[in-house]
Amino acid sequence: MKIRLLPKVAALCVLLITCVAVYAQKSIRGKVHSSDGKPVSGASIVVKSTGTTITTDNDGVFTAQLAAGDVLTISHVGFKSKEVVVGSGDLLDIELLAGSEELQQVVVVGYGTQRKKDLTGAISVVNPDDLKKRQATTVAEAMQGLASGVYVRASGRPGSEANIQIRGIKNLSNTNPLYVIDGLIATANRDFNPNDIESIQILKDASAAAIYGSRAANGVIIITTKRGRQGPMKMEISAKSSAQIMPRFDLAGRDEFVTLNNMAYDNAGKPHQQHELDNNTDWQDETYRTGLMHDINASFSGGGTNSSYMVSANYFGNKGTVISTDFNRLSLRVNSQGSKGIFSIGENIAISNAEEDLMSGNPVADVVRLLPTIPVRDSRNPGGYGYGHEARARTFGTNPIAIADLEDRTQQNLRIRGNIWAELKFRPWLKYRANVGIDASNDHYKYLRKEGNWTLNQPYDPSIANENMARSMSKQIDNTLTFNKEFGLHKVNLVVGQTYQSDRYEQIWGTKRNMLPNPLGGGYYSTLDQGNEPQTGGFINESVIMSYLGRLEYNYDDRYLFNAVLRRDGTSRLGMQNRWGNFPSVSAAWRISREQFFNVSWISDLKLRASYGTLGSSNIGNWDYLAVINTFSTIAMGSNQAILPGATQVRLVNQDLGWEKLVQKNFGFDAELFNNRLSVSAEYFDATTSDVLTTMPIALTTGNDGGNPVVNAATIRNRGFEFSATYKEQRENFGYNVGLNLTTLKNEVKELGYGRNNIYVGNTVTEIGQPLGMFFVLETDGIFQNQAEITSYVNKDGVIIQPNAQPGDIRFKDNNGDGQITNSDKAVVANPWPKYEVGLNLGANWKSFEFTMNWFGSFGSTVYNGYRSLVDRFDDNSNYRSGVKPWTPDNPNTSFPRALYASTLNSRGDTDRWLESGNFFRMKYVGISYNLPSSLLGKIGFNSAQISVSGQNLITITKFTGLDPEFNNASIYERGVAGFQYPNVKMVSLGLAVGF
Amino acid sequence: MKKILNISFVCSALILLAASCSKTELDVKNPNTLTEDVFWKTESDAQKGLNAAYAMFYKPGLWSRWIYFRLDLTSDEGFSNSPWIELADWTRFQYINYNFWEGNNITWRDTYKAVFRLNQILANVGEIPFADPAVKERLIAEAKFLRGLHYYYAGLMWENIPLVLEPSKPDDLPLQNTLAEVWAQVEKDWKEAVPALSVSYGAADVGRPTKGAVQGYLARLYMQQRKWTEAKTALDYFFTGEGQGQYALMANYKDNFTHLLENNTESVFEIQFSDVNKGGDGDGVNQTMSTNRPQFFAPRGIGWSDGQARYWVVNEFKKEATAAGGIDPRLRYTLFYPALEADFGDKIYGRSWEWGAQEAWYRKYSRDYFRNNEDYFAQNNFRMLRYADILLMYAEVLNELGQTGDAYQYVDMVRERVGMHPLATAFPAIGTDKDLFRNRLKVERVLELCGESVRWADLKRWGDLETQAGVDLIKQRDPDFNNFQVGKHIRLPLPQIEVENNTNLTQNPMY
Repeated sequence: MKIRLLPKVAALCVLLITCVAVYAQKSIRGKVHSSDGKPVSGASIVVKSTGTTITTDNDGVFTAQLAAGDVLTISHVGFKSKEVVVGSGDLLDIELLAGSEELQQVVVVGYGTQRKKDLTGAISVVNPDDLKKRQATTVAEAMQGLASGVYVRASGRPGSEANIQIRGIKNLSNTNPLYVIDGLIATANRDFNPNDIESIQILKDASAAAIYGSRAANGVIIITTKRGRQGPMKMEISAKSSAQIMPRFDLAGRDEFVTLNNMAYDNAGKPHQQHELDNNTDWQDETYRTGLMHDINASFSGGGTNSSYMVSANYFGNKGTVISTDFNRLSLRVNSQGSKGIFSIGENIAISNAEEDLMSGNPVADVVRLLPTIPVRDSRNPGGYGYGHEARARTFGTNPIAIADLEDRTQQNLRIRGNIWAELKFRPWLKYRANVGIDASNDHYKYLRKEGNWTLNQPYDPSIANENMARSMSKQIDNTLTFNKEFGLHKVNLVVGQTYQSDRYEQIWGTKRNMLPNPLGGGYYSTLDQGNEPQTGGFINESVIMSYLGRLEYNYDDRYLFNAVLRRDGTSRLGMQNRWGNFPSVSAAWRISREQFFNVSWISDLKLRASYGTLGSSNIGNWDYLAVINTFSTIAMGSNQAILPGATQVRLVNQDLGWEKLVQKNFGFDAELFNNRLSVSAEYFDATTSDVLTTMPIALTTGNDGGNPVVNAATIRNRGFEFSATYKEQRENFGYNVGLNLTTLKNEVKELGYGRNNIYVGNTVTEIGQPLGMFFVLETDGIFQNQAEITSYVNKDGVIIQPNAQPGDIRFKDNNGDGQITNSDKAVVANPWPKYEVGLNLGANWKSFEFTMNWFGSFGSTVYNGYRSLVDRFDDNSNYRSGVKPWTPDNPNTSFPRALYASTLNSRGDTDRWLESGNFFRMKYVGISYNLPSSLLGKIGFNSAQISVSGQNLITITKFTGLDPEFNNASIYERGVAGFQYPNVKMVSLGLAVGF
Repeated sequence: MKKILNISFVCSALILLAASCSKTELDVKNPNTLTEDVFWKTESDAQKGLNAAYAMFYKPGLWSRWIYFRLDLTSDEGFSNSPWIELADWTRFQYINYNFWEGNNITWRDTYKAVFRLNQILANVGEIPFADPAVKERLIAEAKFLRGLHYYYAGLMWENIPLVLEPSKPDDLPLQNTLAEVWAQVEKDWKEAVPALSVSYGAADVGRPTKGAVQGYLARLYMQQRKWTEAKTALDYFFTGEGQGQYALMANYKDNFTHLLENNTESVFEIQFSDVNKGGDGDGVNQTMSTNRPQFFAPRGIGWSDGQARYWVVNEFKKEATAAGGIDPRLRYTLFYPALEADFGDKIYGRSWEWGAQEAWYRKYSRDYFRNNEDYFAQNNFRMLRYADILLMYAEVLNELGQTGDAYQYVDMVRERVGMHPLATAFPAIGTDKDLFRNRLKVERVLELCGESVRWADLKRWGDLETQAGVDLIKQRDPDFNNFQVGKHIRLPLPQIEVENNTNLTQNPMY
């Protein structure tokens, strides 16, 4: 019903796109340059009479149809704006004087825009040029280190999406912020082409994000995509190719492995394994390869006085660094808009098709778990692949080559998202806007399991095919009315509106077994008509959210700024009585530099800000408040074993679920110093989330299963300081800039649900008064060098604490003094959270060369090295680190205990032996680009051409001994646990971009 | 102007439809399944609720997998040489992490998950009208039998557990009960169950608990408490009561462990496993109705080899020849052992012996009688209680009551089936000596019931785990008992997370 209108409006839209009108006037060519003669590219030229905007190209050149007497306003970041009157000539030479107009920059704040200088809340603006220099699958991944208060962790797996969190973990379920793309609530996931970005802003505090109310507790990332500008059609084509290199473990080869393995068996008094010494497999060589990434983008755009268009097409491909992994995306975007009289209309539509060849198993762990004495292929095993053997090579590692071949998984997503909007400007100060959007996707997952084994003692499986097809559809309708007027020195902007969003996801799936083999070339016919033992299923998820919103902005003389927001949200996900919540916020700023008394010559602008507001969240399942009956159990009964259906409640629920609320205070300042060469801003925030919606563990005696019930339970406080500074200087042929941002964050649990004091997850504990997920392990205290040390290691009652130990074994601290080592000796020993994170961004230009370098560092965290806890344990077989020297009577001066097979004495995972400093400082990006001179370009008919060479993650300074200190653990309780996550890869890229 | 009107129309239409999004829009119904408030209304609901409770037998914490590690491998009959050290440690009294999921928490959780399903039935079915009240009574009796069964095994394992008897709420923190209180509740449930259950069922209902199943289990419960008189009364059901003539030993011992002759005359109660579904062991669609036991116990190179039998059992079988001078045929169907091929001509999953010279694996419930590999979908019904056990239990009870002479005949029935001499012939020295008879019975039970999850209860009942002298004897058979501390390891530690989350619970002594 709501969408029935959509086709009509869309048709109207298409009509408008095709009617691009151009008025013929005098063609004028102009050049914009700085006082040192350097061309200013990307400067915007506004024709005052018509309001149309033109942009200069890479050489600072623009052409436009103008009449004599037209007044042009020329502006660009870093320069003072200038007005020029068009004379009789057809050539214009415009010189811009240095000076920051950055504050004139317009920022999208949700249901409207604000001048950056008028902001009262905490908003980071990321320069999309910096972001696009990096090669990344998702926007989030490319954003690391470019804004303060934003924590990003990515991985190098093709098609993987980065984890992003703004200003700490504010709840216990989901940390991803809300993405708003051209006014449409949609995630900027891997289906989104980062090349389309025109601007990105990150709303960090409550006052900035409050307009999104209950959606905004994790912050908001607002993305605006490119649109056409007046002028002849511009085409831009860019291509970038990258090689990716997987970081590797330094593992033992065959001979070293055999020596160490025999030592572990000797110490355990067990006969050696019957190593097959003919094999010497380097599993990393077999599994990893050089990855490739290609990103080819073409766009054309242009427009007339009343309309504009932008079309872009993109191919993104990533052949993974692990065999049989691949990701490909094709995407197309059309943005257009037009206006007539008081009416304007526009649309943004993006279509993408992504295909991923998914990774099977976890090769990053399996290259370690498999032994060098196992061959890749082994005809003695079903399926023909080598893996562990009880007598020869006892390991339960998976052969990654086997599983890559025997399990095929692919995922395809066809996604359409877009919106159309219409605006009526009843009066210059009164505007109505309607926005209708959809985000729809068709997903198709395919799985084929071929017959054959990849690990020791594997249960038999026939060939199996599984497929699922899903459709998701999110619909959004916004109506807003904007009042914007100046009364002398008073400026008032008022927005009121209403929004509605529904989400629906439905999936059907089917599985068959014993698929029909293909007699030609092996393999199977894997369509689901084949095979037997069919299984099918399907389900639907649905939710609705409705909101009313209002925002008042008041500005007196750009000196006193005030902003108030109220949003009222209703959601279908909460208990009947608690569905509606109100989320107000206020903020104010004082531009002290505009006061008469303020007279500091080296400060050109200084603004103090403060805000206070409430945000909400209902980020839980669709029906978590509803007790349902599980009807899936079946039993066999009777002498013929008839199958009878069962039904019962499996998962308990709390029916009275209500809104999770986040109250946030923010204090900050923005300053422009030294003739606008130095910009500084700093923030302090204090945010407390209460009634956190979480699945807090409940007593197992409840018999609950299917996930702990959601409950409004915990209270979490996050406090932090954010600082960023940019220094810019441009001289004749040379310019440089230095940007630094710093983030500190302190996280504290104030309250846990059901009166609990702690939550234990893995080797971590979350306790009231402490940060989330502190490491809680046994403490080691060196190594017993001889029997005397063992017998003299007693508690106060003289009980020998570790009577079973032998020289070379680890000494543990008996913290409770009971004379034995048990769980109650565990202690909170370390904090997994960084004390501070730093981004350092350097740029320089000389003539036509431009150099950029970004560093990112994280300091003060302790992390758990899961890799070392596997390779150094010796109780179970895996490969070992090259060069390790375990304790022996001849090698006593080591912290490495004796190698011991089949005993957990020295290999326990729950000790501080595996904790390491998580500090690192990494060069995320380094690149140099060269712009071809215009003299040369003219000959080949291009307006611009650029060649660039860049590298990502090339240098990392760290003492961490795992693969990648910048790992991503999805569990919020175990953020500091480095398991075998797919690491960030090193990348070298070559790029070419031309415009004409 | 006309256009502007049109446009205005479009916009006002948008406003209108947005305004039409009234608050009822937020009432999004779950299209996937029933809500709890519309359930428990009809006879069919009650039946389905009970079926869902039976389905708990198929869960990995219980009878599809891990409980065998507690009942069989922890006893002196079995052990684990699993490369998964923690898993093996939990069969040899090296309980370090009391939250070890596979060793402790999952069995605890699944026990209470079953109890929750049964409590839902017992709380709701009373209100539901049934066409035939007898059907309702039987349904309630089945639920009580099952609840008692889960608490019986939980009592054997942890002893001091909370009794949850009402449907759960998320914030429930039940009080702890003593073992005596647990046994009293089990006795109450089972006694209440007996009247409404039948002596036997028609084809459609074969597999449901009979009066005999409950009486047999009541006898087990009394025997664990050494209440021999009450135990005899319960067992009398089979010999002088209604159950007389209902049960008989199968001619072939092996027929008790395959999927070919299930629910036979020897069966008193068995779990109905099936391989029809090939799904997971959670609560999703197509959930498994199979047991994974053979995949976990199959020898190295075939299955996960996480559990195996102690070699002394092989020796025990070979101590006494059959009347015909052969090897006890029960050995052939109980264990895979080095001389199996030489003794009986059987290969092991099509292979000749390739394991240690002093190793043995469980053959009972394995499927090598028709395939050369294993998977997670074994369909052999697990015989929880069979008539041979009833006979040996009766003999034990009679002996304890001083009627040793009467006890012989029941042991002899079990021995005769496999061609062994009568007990008095084979072991004339026993005579009517109660202690000697009991000692022999301990061996007889191993030979007949090895691998059938009764040994842990046997050791506890006989008091062998209560004295260091008793444990020292067991150590000679099973070195795992070197780790056994009297007073501590006779019961499992409670899951640590339960003790931490529920302040009403105290951890078991010495943990």
